[in-house]
Amino acid sequence: MERTAVTSPSTGARSMRSIGRFLSNTGPLLVLLFMLAVLWTLSEAFRSPTSLMLLGLEAAAIGIVAAGQTYVILTGGIDLSVEAMVSFAGVIAAILIAGTNVAGGQIANGIPSYLAILIALSAGALIGAFQGVLITGLNMNPLIVTLGMRSILLGVSLVITNGAGINIQKDEFLSFMTQVIRIGEDGAIRVPMVLIIAVIIYFISWVVLRHTRFGRYTYAIGGNETSARLSGISVNLVKIRIYAISGLLAAVGGVLVMARLVSGAYQNGTNMTLMSVAAVVIGGTALTGGKGGIWGTLVGVFIIRVVEQGMVYLSVPSNAKEIVLGVIIVLAVALDVLRRGDIPWLRMRRRAV
Amino acid sequence: MNADNPVVLEMRGIIKRFPGVVALDNVGFDVRRGEVHALLGENGAGKSTLMKILAGVYEADAGEIIFKGRRVSYHTPKQAQVAGITTIHQELNQIPLLTVTENIYLGSEIMRGPLVHWREMHKGARALLERLHLDIDPRVLVGSLGVGQQQMVEVAKALHHRSDIIIMDEPTAALSLREIDDLFTIIRDLRAAGVAIIYISHHLNEAFEIADRLTILRDGRHIATRAAADLTMDELIRLMVGRRLDEQFPKETAPRGKELLRVEGLTQGDRLRNISFSVHAGEVLGIAGLVGAGRTELLRAIFGADPIDAGAVYVDGGRVPIRSPRDAIRHGIVLLPEDRKQQGLVMGMAVRENVTLAVLRALTRGPLIDRRRERALVGQYIQRIQIKVADPENLVSSLSGGNQQKIVLSKWMATEPRVLLFDEPTRGIDVGAKVEIYRLINQFVAGGGAVIMVSSELPEVIGMSDRIMVIHEGTVTGFVGRAEATQETLLEYATGHRRDEGHP
Repeated sequence: MERTAVTSPSTGARSMRSIGRFLSNTGPLLVLLFMLAVLWTLSEAFRSPTSLMLLGLEAAAIGIVAAGQTYVILTGGIDLSVEAMVSFAGVIAAILIAGTNVAGGQIANGIPSYLAILIALSAGALIGAFQGVLITGLNMNPLIVTLGMRSILLGVSLVITNGAGINIQKDEFLSFMTQVIRIGEDGAIRVPMVLIIAVIIYFISWVVLRHTRFGRYTYAIGGNETSARLSGISVNLVKIRIYAISGLLAAVGGVLVMARLVSGAYQNGTNMTLMSVAAVVIGGTALTGGKGGIWGTLVGVFIIRVVEQGMVYLSVPSNAKEIVLGVIIVLAVALDVLRRGDIPWLRMRRRAV
Repeated sequence: MNADNPVVLEMRGIIKRFPGVVALDNVGFDVRRGEVHALLGENGAGKSTLMKILAGVYEADAGEIIFKGRRVSYHTPKQAQVAGITTIHQELNQIPLLTVTENIYLGSEIMRGPLVHWREMHKGARALLERLHLDIDPRVLVGSLGVGQQQMVEVAKALHHRSDIIIMDEPTAALSLREIDDLFTIIRDLRAAGVAIIYISHHLNEAFEIADRLTILRDGRHIATRAAADLTMDELIRLMVGRRLDEQFPKETAPRGKELLRVEGLTQGDRLRNISFSVHAGEVLGIAGLVGAGRTELLRAIFGADPIDAGAVYVDGGRVPIRSPRDAIRHGIVLLPEDRKQQGLVMGMAVRENVTLAVLRALTRGPLIDRRRERALVGQYIQRIQIKVADPENLVSSLSGGNQQKIVLSKWMATEPRVLLFDEPTRGIDVGAKVEIYRLINQFVAGGGAVIMVSSELPEVIGMSDRIMVIHEGTVTGFVGRAEATQETLLEYATGHRRDEGHP
């Protein structure tokens, strides 16, 4: 009765597979290092500590937003509301800190920034959870729910600011959050605080996704929601928490952007949805869910940032930026499809040979 | 049929491997024009795989197909259909919200300039339906037709494509007796018109009634091709099974203990009506019934996967509310679904992650999963259930059907359940692994558990159950003890021709 072959692939096949896995895990990282090397060689300006510091600074906020997006995409969903959440959280925090609305009209005395930030973050998590409830409880399409929420949040931000930014004064807490730490003699290496916050969030996310029950459930739901449900997992509860996390992290990103610009405005989050999704996909997480990881997203964020900054250093006209970004995003999705080998006509051609 | 009819199709030396299994091992057979050729064998014998290769769904690893004198190989079902090979599936693949005409002409619409020529198409469809003596208005939606008529529409579609060969995969599975008669009339007409029919069925009587020749496959090998007239039923069964029944089903009877699970008055729309039964420790309760009788729905309802309208579930004599799979698991009831890949496993996850998916709570220390304990548990079940896997980190998608089933079983065993709801335990599993699954069922009931087993394979139900409950159109028609169970009795209950008192 030993007809069932033991499934131990030949060593050749196995090493092929492990090479494949190695490439899909480190591929984005290699691309990033290559791009950095090219830029380093071609542009003298890029070699300055300031430009490296700027790279980290620019990557931090979008990185945190993209971390939240990673959770959602791992379950096979998508959160298009993040850019609006960035603006919304910034506006809410700014209003509370400054005690003003509509471009300077005093309505109350401001409250301490940490309290204002706490309220803005709670709002982000709650709104995210609410989206999760709509998506799971009413079985609505996440694309539509989050697209609708995007409009609502942008609209609210626009209405309560009347289109202008709300400027704030930095207090101690905000100064601490936005400082740049100097390391080494004469402070040659400069590390922005926001980057440290981002890295901490990434580390926590890695632990959550890879070492907790919740993380395992996240992957299981993305891999096969039916099996997950039939294995006794409360799929809806997990998903609601996932959207809450995305809302929360987008709000964190929003508060940091606001603090850096010392202004809460409805444009603060512009483009961040597209960039966060692109970073997740470039980083190797499948849009269909169940596969990928948080570190890939961080690499994806840096790839996008290096491209953006590289264009500046290589004197590409800034108006062309959007075009390049668009190309990168489409390429990233094409890569995602290729990784899955899911192109029928290509497969057929291969078989027909 | 005239035995001198020219051969229209020949398959030679077909080999097909799937990860971990050789599904077809050097299989060949031929089909003549105007012949009804039955393809018989147990589940997993390779019938469907062979037909999928013919129809361009799978590609053979070796072997050749000679169709109308030419060596061919199709890469898509569409290519095969255009060439003249049409498959009528067990699961009908028509679009219910399109009309009969639209379904028949799907992909080959008659055009007048840029527009669809409706009049011509309706006329054509009506002509095809008339050829089949069917009184169906081609303008009605396919979804509004009964299953039998839908199948006839597929036959009409095959005629429209001027098919030389029509493959019918379990065509009678969902049909009433009258519809089966109609289908057979049509098959005979088609045969007279020179169409070759490859007929796959579990019902051996049907095969004898309609087929000119029979080809028997077993464990992926060609066993015999004979004229129906030269074969007796006994001989056929011996060829199909290839071993004695007790070797095939190593049933061990465990001592019957106290009642573990009782279901009372379970009702779910029209699908399940007032179903009541109980199952005891040490018992395997088989559930038999035709496709669509509500077998799978019953298991899912008990497991809390689908809502119910009325009824109660008792565990150990106490009523328990089950509103979700989680509730059921908490009370020691678990479901092994018929479609493992879609409902039992996360294919993109490792063996380890699948095995522990339902018991992570017990493996968590503080906020974190204890990897060491997780690996230890997985290792333990790989040993106990004898899963053949080189490394628990391998993806389950790389395993054979039998090993995948064992992973689902391990996942549930780890929760220490008391009642297994086992839907089609050995579907798509090769013979060696089947026996292992049966032994695991024996072990489980010997340890004081109970199994409720649904299977389309009557020999399996009879071979492995202590007691069999038969359902027909969502109602229980009777209970049959192991000693009295024969395929004939079960079929009488399953078709509703026989009903016990107290089961209206």
